[in-house]
Amino acid sequence: MHGSSEAASAVLFGLNPMWVAALLFALTYVVVMTEKINRAIVSLLAAGLMIVLGILNQEAAIRGIDFNTIGLLIGMMVIVAITRQSGIFQFLAIWAAKKVDARPWGILVMISLVTAVTSAFLDNVTTVLLVVPVTLLITEELKVNPYPYLFAMIFSSNIGGTATLIGDPPNIMIGSATGLTFNDFAYNLSPVIIVIMAATLIPIYFIWGRHLKATPEDRQRVMQFDEYGAITDARLLKQCLLVIGLVVAGFVGARFLGLEAATVAMTGAALLLLLANWGRDAEHQSKHVLEAFNEVEWITIFFFVGLFIVVHGVDGTGLLKLLADKMLALTGGDLNATAMVILWSSAILSAIIDNIPFVATMIPLIKAMAPTFGGPEGLMPLWWSLSLGACLGGNGTLIGASANLVVAGFAERAGQPIRFVQYTLMAFPIMLMSIAISMVYLYWRYL
Amino acid sequence: MKAKLIMNPHPMTLRPTDTVATAADRILKHHLRHLPVVDEQGRYLGTFSVYSLLKLTLPKAVLDKYGLDNVSFVTESVEDLAQRLGKRRDEPVKNWINIHEVARPDTHAMEIMLLMLHGRTTSVPVVDKATNRFEGIISFWDVLEKLIGENK
Repeated sequence: MHGSSEAASAVLFGLNPMWVAALLFALTYVVVMTEKINRAIVSLLAAGLMIVLGILNQEAAIRGIDFNTIGLLIGMMVIVAITRQSGIFQFLAIWAAKKVDARPWGILVMISLVTAVTSAFLDNVTTVLLVVPVTLLITEELKVNPYPYLFAMIFSSNIGGTATLIGDPPNIMIGSATGLTFNDFAYNLSPVIIVIMAATLIPIYFIWGRHLKATPEDRQRVMQFDEYGAITDARLLKQCLLVIGLVVAGFVGARFLGLEAATVAMTGAALLLLLANWGRDAEHQSKHVLEAFNEVEWITIFFFVGLFIVVHGVDGTGLLKLLADKMLALTGGDLNATAMVILWSSAILSAIIDNIPFVATMIPLIKAMAPTFGGPEGLMPLWWSLSLGACLGGNGTLIGASANLVVAGFAERAGQPIRFVQYTLMAFPIMLMSIAISMVYLYWRYL
Repeated sequence: MKAKLIMNPHPMTLRPTDTVATAADRILKHHLRHLPVVDEQGRYLGTFSVYSLLKLTLPKAVLDKYGLDNVSFVTESVEDLAQRLGKRRDEPVKNWINIHEVARPDTHAMEIMLLMLHGRTTSVPVVDKATNRFEGIISFWDVLEKLIGENK
């Protein structure tokens, strides 16, 4: 569709555009993986080179950027930036701990659930950034090892994030590229996510949970925490809850209302900015709006922008179509086999490499398979395989997802470092278990 | 005027192996805010301060740079806090020192004042650049005395 017609100058010093694009693309992957250069710089530079080398022109590059994904991410980041100031995350964690009488294993389960549910609606990094400090305080008061709690939080944030359209960047990208709605994700993914969450807690219980003990005095200290003291701004909290409620309702009714997810999120963000700044003078408004915008993770956003251009450039050369054909030849065009290859390969690759570029590449690749499987409708199981593989695979190693690294950072500073190898030895098998459960689910429901 | 002319060349110091209890004792008895920690070769390692004592009294989870910015939900009593500090009294001070911005013996007065202002500190250690040898300490009071003395 968008092949040579979009190319600015198809000449490229006489080189084959497909191989130039492939080389640039591979180079982007490798340099991002080495983490020597900030990933936003790498992707923007690669995107610039794609245009300069004539693989695609600027107009085509801009068409390649999925502004629905970008808008949804920015909108939700602004909403989270304001909401976190209300203290709701700390409130939830303390409330959950007290609900189980501050029993160590009970707290682990409750904190995991709070993390999973919050990650399903807000971004994983923010969730762990706000829940980990309370958890560390609680474990310190209880004099129990924080390691199992942090381990469980990594898993629950990635598992919870898989359940919804807005929970994890791969889902946002898949939803945006395919038109699958919030409801589609909730309906198709949340059943298996609940099972996976429960199943993940079983090994954690047998490895650590059953050994966790705290004295009645230490538990009493946690029971004396006043969760309402964690709420720093009750008025702001009400505004946030109202807007989050409206945004979720907007996602649920998006198809009925004829709205895209980015519209819902950005309008929600604007509404919350309006409410939170109501009655402030111009100077204070500027200060607070700027603060909220500063919390947007611009590195991630620009990484996405560059990446979309790079992938679009590669896609335009027909390379991804070629890869899709190769993959179909490998699986014999069989839907079951293709779904399984996508599920397992995306899980294992996402444990090692950043799942965002991986999913960005897989989307056009899977789309190219539509004719083989009877049009876009036939691709459904493949999208769920990609989502489950890419999101859950992130649990496999410490570098599998950004939330993992944030938790590891806390652990390190708290003097309880999570070691890469030690983590992988426990986490990789548990991640594989979650993929096995996903496999059974996919077979049972779609294949 | 340069640092070496303003500083106190013989301030009270700590050895890295001194305990938290020793440091707390000196801070209380002499009403000091900062105690430079110097090893046996006379090298400056950092400063143990009243803020180190505050940190020793608080749970680690609230000290993290991305930690809790609001602890109004914690209802610990002074006894609970004292108990936490008590448990750490035998730890060596070297685990609880901060590396402050330091002045060199030839640093000028204005830069020293700026160091104090930016670092929100009332004293600046003077350390030799090449050998890291501790030379002395300049307190806010030393600077003030010189300033007012010059004006007289």
